Amino acid sequence: MNNGRPDRVSVAMLTIAGLAGLLAFIWPLIVAPAATLDGNSQSPFIFAVLLPVLLGIVVSELSRGTIDVKSLAMLGVLSALGALARPLGAGTAGIEFVFVPLILGGRVFGPTFGFLLGSTTLFTSALLTGGVGPWLPYQLLAASFVAMGAGFLPRATGWAEIAVLSCYAGVSTILYGSLVDLSFWPFNLGLATDLSYVAGAPFLENLHRFVLFSLATGMGWNLGRALTTILTLCVIGLPMLRILRRANRRGNFTEAA
Amino acid sequence: MIEFDHVSITQPEATSPVLSDVTGTIRESDLCVVVGRTGTGKSTLLGCINALVPMTTGATMAGRVRIGGVDVTGRRPRELADLVGYVGQNPLSGFCTDVVEDEVAYGMEQLGLDPVTMRKRVEETLDLMGIADLRRRALVELSGGQQQRVAIAAVLAAQPRVLVLDEPTSALDPTAAQDVLAAITTLVHDVGLTVVLAEHRLERVMHAADSAIWLPGDARAVFGPTAEILGIADVKPPLTQISEALGWPKVETSVRDARRKVATEGPHLDLPNLPVLAVSWRAEGLTPVLTAGDLAVHYGDLRAVEVDLELHAGSIVALMGRNGSGKSSLMWALQGAVASTGRLAVRDVDPRTASDSEARRLVSLVPQSPADLLYLPTVGEELHQADRESEAAPGTTRSILATLGVDLPDDRNPRDLSEGQRLALVLAIQLAASPAVICLDEPTRGLDYQMKAELTGIVRRLAEQGACVVISTHDVEFAAQTTERCIVLAEGEVVADGPTRTVCCASPSNSPQVAKVFYPHDVLTVAEVKKALALQAVRP
Amino acid sequence: MPRLVPRVAQADPAVPHEWEHRPVRQLHPWAWWGWAICASAAVSLTTNPIVIALIAASVVVVVLLRRTDAPWARSLKVYLFLALVIVVMRLFFQIVIGGVRTGTVLFTLPSVELPAWAAGITLGGPVTLDGLAVALFDAVRIAVMLLCVGAANSLANPRTALKSVPAALRDISTAVVIALALIPQMIASIHRVRRGQRLRGGRRRGLSALPGTVLPVIEDAVEASLQLATSMEARGYGRTRTTGEQRRGRRQLLGALLAVLFGTYVLLAVPGTTPGWLGLSTAAWLAVVLIGSAVALAVWGLRVSGRQLGVTRYRPAPWGSPENVTVACGGVALLVILWLISSLGVPGEMNSMQTPVRWPTLPPLAVVAALALVVPGFTTPAPRKSP
Repeated sequence: MNNGRPDRVSVAMLTIAGLAGLLAFIWPLIVAPAATLDGNSQSPFIFAVLLPVLLGIVVSELSRGTIDVKSLAMLGVLSALGALARPLGAGTAGIEFVFVPLILGGRVFGPTFGFLLGSTTLFTSALLTGGVGPWLPYQLLAASFVAMGAGFLPRATGWAEIAVLSCYAGVSTILYGSLVDLSFWPFNLGLATDLSYVAGAPFLENLHRFVLFSLATGMGWNLGRALTTILTLCVIGLPMLRILRRANRRGNFTEAA
Repeated sequence: MIEFDHVSITQPEATSPVLSDVTGTIRESDLCVVVGRTGTGKSTLLGCINALVPMTTGATMAGRVRIGGVDVTGRRPRELADLVGYVGQNPLSGFCTDVVEDEVAYGMEQLGLDPVTMRKRVEETLDLMGIADLRRRALVELSGGQQQRVAIAAVLAAQPRVLVLDEPTSALDPTAAQDVLAAITTLVHDVGLTVVLAEHRLERVMHAADSAIWLPGDARAVFGPTAEILGIADVKPPLTQISEALGWPKVETSVRDARRKVATEGPHLDLPNLPVLAVSWRAEGLTPVLTAGDLAVHYGDLRAVEVDLELHAGSIVALMGRNGSGKSSLMWALQGAVASTGRLAVRDVDPRTASDSEARRLVSLVPQSPADLLYLPTVGEELHQADRESEAAPGTTRSILATLGVDLPDDRNPRDLSEGQRLALVLAIQLAASPAVICLDEPTRGLDYQMKAELTGIVRRLAEQGACVVISTHDVEFAAQTTERCIVLAEGEVVADGPTRTVCCASPSNSPQVAKVFYPHDVLTVAEVKKALALQAVRP
Repeated sequence: MPRLVPRVAQADPAVPHEWEHRPVRQLHPWAWWGWAICASAAVSLTTNPIVIALIAASVVVVVLLRRTDAPWARSLKVYLFLALVIVVMRLFFQIVIGGVRTGTVLFTLPSVELPAWAAGITLGGPVTLDGLAVALFDAVRIAVMLLCVGAANSLANPRTALKSVPAALRDISTAVVIALALIPQMIASIHRVRRGQRLRGGRRRGLSALPGTVLPVIEDAVEASLQLATSMEARGYGRTRTTGEQRRGRRQLLGALLAVLFGTYVLLAVPGTTPGWLGLSTAAWLAVVLIGSAVALAVWGLRVSGRQLGVTRYRPAPWGSPENVTVACGGVALLVILWLISSLGVPGEMNSMQTPVRWPTLPPLAVVAALALVVPGFTTPAPRKSP
């Protein structure tokens, strides 16, 4: 597989998609008063239509040319693993293992593979459980960036690598949870309460309200998710990295230059 | 059709080539079988034909391969998809979709064929392989033989002229293997395809093969007609052994030919005939170690097993029956790992209520896929872990492994071991608990003749030490060589239980080749034939 | 004289053997999604609970009439539950941390003023009818939008949907298909390994059981993936692509992404208070144009790049008149609601989120929208239910 780093056009596309995606997540914090989306608690649905277009473009771009047949098969295997791990602890205080294959996959096979892995894993899981809904594009995008980020982590070996991955896992899973919560903040809460966003208010003030809302609702889940991910990484991280690396070395399906 | 021109292959990180200077030709419309012991490069040779070797393995290759006069060296396998069809060892893991029909169409979609052509070819291919009634079934629900036929259909749809099959029947029971072989012979005789296949159980395919390639293991490859190659090869199916024992100039490749030759030229063995009536197992003078009464296993509404059974110390028992007849379920139930009803006692203890570590000392089981029990990165750690689990002195498991005749370096990854080595490792781990009963579930899968002979020796030694060994197998030849008692299951019930020689030979269709050749005489193995001949020679 | 006995034998009714195996025509999954998205969009435009309830009833009727026995068809219940959770959560927050505290007071909770670090939020206080009504109407709207999505989930066959993705996304859909096919194998493999653990005499629980269970399964799966790659390669995967060739359609796709980015920006940052044509402000129209062109560019780009792949599709799911009718029904319902909320219709009646609260009434035209949505329940091919 060609080192998993996207070329210039792909990087441009990823950047734009990242920016637009970020807007879709944090819009309640920055929305201007009287803008079209203000006072409109179903805005997540508008983005739920926009984000698939975004994802479709980026995924089709990344999957072409940069991904070979071995990566594709590996993508299938790791997605199945992630999708299987997801319902294991569903609902019970954020016990969620899905980030382990995502982070390890991104780490071993590179950022491009990671991005695709994030999308395919959550999509497979949604198909499996009939959970295709407005939240799905958000989860796909966030998980894709989490797995892609793992591909950019600095070099390390042995337990140092697990330490790096655990730190990343802690930060990224909490970020993932917060972003997904954030995008559905107006949706879950409505607009009229004291904890709802105020259009045009300073960014930090809205953030403050969101943090309070998050503390009152999803933060426990997010912490639980981070904790299980880190624990699982510590228990099976090293052997899994070994297995994946071995598979990466074996078999050579690269395109002839 | 296929020409190898001074082909040499060196695997990555290997010092000596696995194949060196291989030159030879496979004729158009031949069924060519590649024979050789495990690890001699059969799969490598097969991979060369459609360029999977060296393209996907990173091996280095010298020489040329030509198919139908076209030089395919340096091409990518996918460019050859409509010239060579390749089916790997495990068809299920090569499937890219989940429904039969889609799977057959998948290759053609990749070739960009137009929908009308595709539609027609899918129908034709389904009919050719006799799987039209399975078209909308999920692939995972199919039996092994059906999966293998779907896998062949899937590569045939691209209409290749050559079909390469890596051990197509090794995981199948005799009936399913027959189905697959019938399909393959149709392709050779009616469609005129050239088929190259590797196989361990030569007795299944040798009668249908036109030519053979023998890999002696020193990087050479010997091409020739089947009978000639079998005469010199170091893998010896029973018919070869008979031919050798009787000093025939040419190996007879089918039971029919061998019988005719015996009928016309002798030797006429002076042996008693087979008993016509069923003989049951006599337990006099044996110490029972395991008794089961009304032992039943249920999966939902389905009653998988219901048996009364007594096993004796120092005996070797074969458990036979078609796939799904309850062999595995019975073994798991005896171990106590699968819930069952009824009475069960091993040395007066019920393994179902015993703790895990105690149950191991009563009944130990080596499952069908031994790798399921291995999870540590090196052989050394696995052995160490086994010592702790069995509360045995450090080094016990390693010395057992040594007595099994296998020496493995500590730092090897268990996943890199060959089939036989892995079986030995798991067997050693399970024997560390010195169990009263040892169950082996399909241990001969993927073993060559010599390894099977070694396994026979190991099993005999275990029985001499007083253990009872239960072996479930489809391999009649192995059962005849190794076991003394044979239990046949059908639909979860015992339908026959008696000495192997009477149970195995009761039906001519399911008996070992030696028994078929000398029917109705009471011989099972080549060794017995030799002994009878020697006795006859002494007597006037 | 008419023949009493027809000379030609009647089609034999006793050959249904093959017929039984032949699959029933299923509606194209994208048609169900199109219909459901239209319904969902229609609901999003109004807060009149009566209209919303009518639409919800139509959607549920269609699901009950046309869902199959497949596992995904059971997801409607989950979505109903989810919708209920949203309604309850909204009401709970409205009661506890409030928002609208004016109007008819129903009861008063003891109020607690939180310290400054908590943004000076007041918990409790008077709970009013108006506050509850506003929260309830908004919550019901969201809940029914979800219900529409749930309807699509239970009606559309996800596997057929995967087969019908644009060619440019085929590679990635292949990965998902592989994953879906692997999952049952993996579950079987987990069971096998778990059972095998007893054989080594130490079943563990909790996290320490993880390596022994998970690692053999992963090793197996990874091994299988290499075999799969070999098999795909040998069967010609990627053969129609030439490496090093200039990839087409990238400019269109880049343009589409930029249009999405700017469209989002306009939606969020450009104020548009004066309602213009059809009740939408200039800023809104700008966003609509940007997003519309983004979608068009994306379709164009994906088409171009998909054609370059040169793969074909075996028996693609057919798109015929039932599909057109289904999508058209959704479209009609959406148009009717759009008409009703525009200045030409009855915007006041369609918006029930007003204080003081007013009992909502049913605009007669809204019945047409609900009726249009229920039509696919009768015009689409019926599923065969197993006895």
